[in-house]
Amino acid sequence: MSKELRSNFHEQLTEIRDGIAQMGAGVTELVPRATQILLDGDLEAAEYVILGDNEYDAKAVELEERCFSVIALQAPVASDLRSLVSAIKIIADIERSADLCVNICKAARRIYGHDLDPSLRGVIQKMGNQARVLFKESTEAYLNLDGPRAAALHDMDSYLDDLQRQFIQVIFESHAAGTIDLQVAVQLAVVARFYERIGDHAVNVGDRVRYIVDGWVPEHPYAESDNDPPEIVDGVIVPAGQS
Amino acid sequence: MSDSPQATHAGTGSAVESDPNAPVDLPNRIDVNDLNIYYGAFKAVADVSMTINPQSITALIGPSGCGKSTFLRSLNRMHEVIDGAYVEGSVVINDKNLYGPGVDPVAVRRKIGMVFQRPNPFPTMSIADNVLAGKRLNSKRLSKTEGAELVEESLRGANLWNEVKDRLDKPGSSLSGGQQQRLCIARAIAVSPDVLLMDEPCSALDPISTLAIEELMLDLKRTYNIVIVTHNMQQAARVSDRTGFFTIEGTGKPGKLIEMATTEKIFANPAMQATQDYVTGRFG
Repeated sequence: MSKELRSNFHEQLTEIRDGIAQMGAGVTELVPRATQILLDGDLEAAEYVILGDNEYDAKAVELEERCFSVIALQAPVASDLRSLVSAIKIIADIERSADLCVNICKAARRIYGHDLDPSLRGVIQKMGNQARVLFKESTEAYLNLDGPRAAALHDMDSYLDDLQRQFIQVIFESHAAGTIDLQVAVQLAVVARFYERIGDHAVNVGDRVRYIVDGWVPEHPYAESDNDPPEIVDGVIVPAGQS
Repeated sequence: MSDSPQATHAGTGSAVESDPNAPVDLPNRIDVNDLNIYYGAFKAVADVSMTINPQSITALIGPSGCGKSTFLRSLNRMHEVIDGAYVEGSVVINDKNLYGPGVDPVAVRRKIGMVFQRPNPFPTMSIADNVLAGKRLNSKRLSKTEGAELVEESLRGANLWNEVKDRLDKPGSSLSGGQQQRLCIARAIAVSPDVLLMDEPCSALDPISTLAIEELMLDLKRTYNIVIVTHNMQQAARVSDRTGFFTIEGTGKPGKLIEMATTEKIFANPAMQATQDYVTGRFG
């Protein structure tokens, strides 16, 4: 019997994966758009991105419902079960990343009219690029179920974390030099955080891709019994076994 | 879609929700109206009303003895082979009441075919003759080429052709259980019925043969109106578009249709507590 059994069910899985990949591709484009809006102070475009977020929310709910329905009706097992459980989590990561792009656009509205000096613009551009690359890689790793590609996301995210530290440093310097006021400095620090979070969501997606591929789960540092977590004694954190 | 139990029929205890996406005026839709089924003085099934949509699979689930098989058999008057069986109410297909005066039960069974729990090919007949058995019973003379064409078409329809094309003259009993069941499906569709009733068609089969039959059902529903009784709730969930849940209040009481809705609703968020208890295994 060479004919594929349960082809209907497997088609449903493919449709769900395509839907999620589309959302991921959308956010991959949304990140550079939000960056450009922030750098250009483009209020009209910011408004479009903010309104467009409803679409991501609706799509996320729809895809989640489809996952629930397939789990309820098809009793998935093995890789099918892993891919559906992961899909539900990946949907949330992508949807949250779209929210973060919206937050960047809202920050653009708050700092409208304030000039940003070249060093700030440079580091914003770099963070935007790196966050976009992370999201693009995570989406493609998901679409192709490419474990090694997904595993590389951790290193790419380290660079984004470095950029965030640089960004904060530049914000301090610009504020000290008087080129931005405190309100703008605070907004930009939050923006740095948004990019960093987008990177984290991309890494989560990558981890879930690895789980789908071969059941890989991140190692927990205290999983071994001889490596107990630190304890809290009288409100102070001390290493295990020393209390 | 409304979740509210307002659809509950007062007095009958059944919630038959209307599906806004239901195809309304396609041929071969079955309308069951207030059907009561009796074996002599014993009322086996009470007050069932439902619409069975064409080009879809309708699953009937419920605990043993709830009347779902009896109800299925009443859809082609097969239950009448038991002495003293009769019904009240109507089963209407293509504007015709199956229980109307002057309706020939044999003609009904030709239009509404049935596949049983245990594969029952005629053991000494060849595979090809098994496929043609129903057609020949209906006293149709077939030329050799007509016969050969019908055998191939029916076996292809039952997704069995490639496995048996080189041994059509071997006895039907030489096939595996799953193949025999598909042979019975081929025999049932050879007479071009309008509706295919299946009474636990996979309960005697291994899981892979079961999946093969399910895949076949999904192909067949493009052409036929399929109604399946199954004890395997996962099977109902996997293949059907709509599901009806039957149960009984106690021994000696008649079976009733408790809830009928899209399969997704029955398995994800049923309206009735009894359905919820049954599909989650808290009662049964």
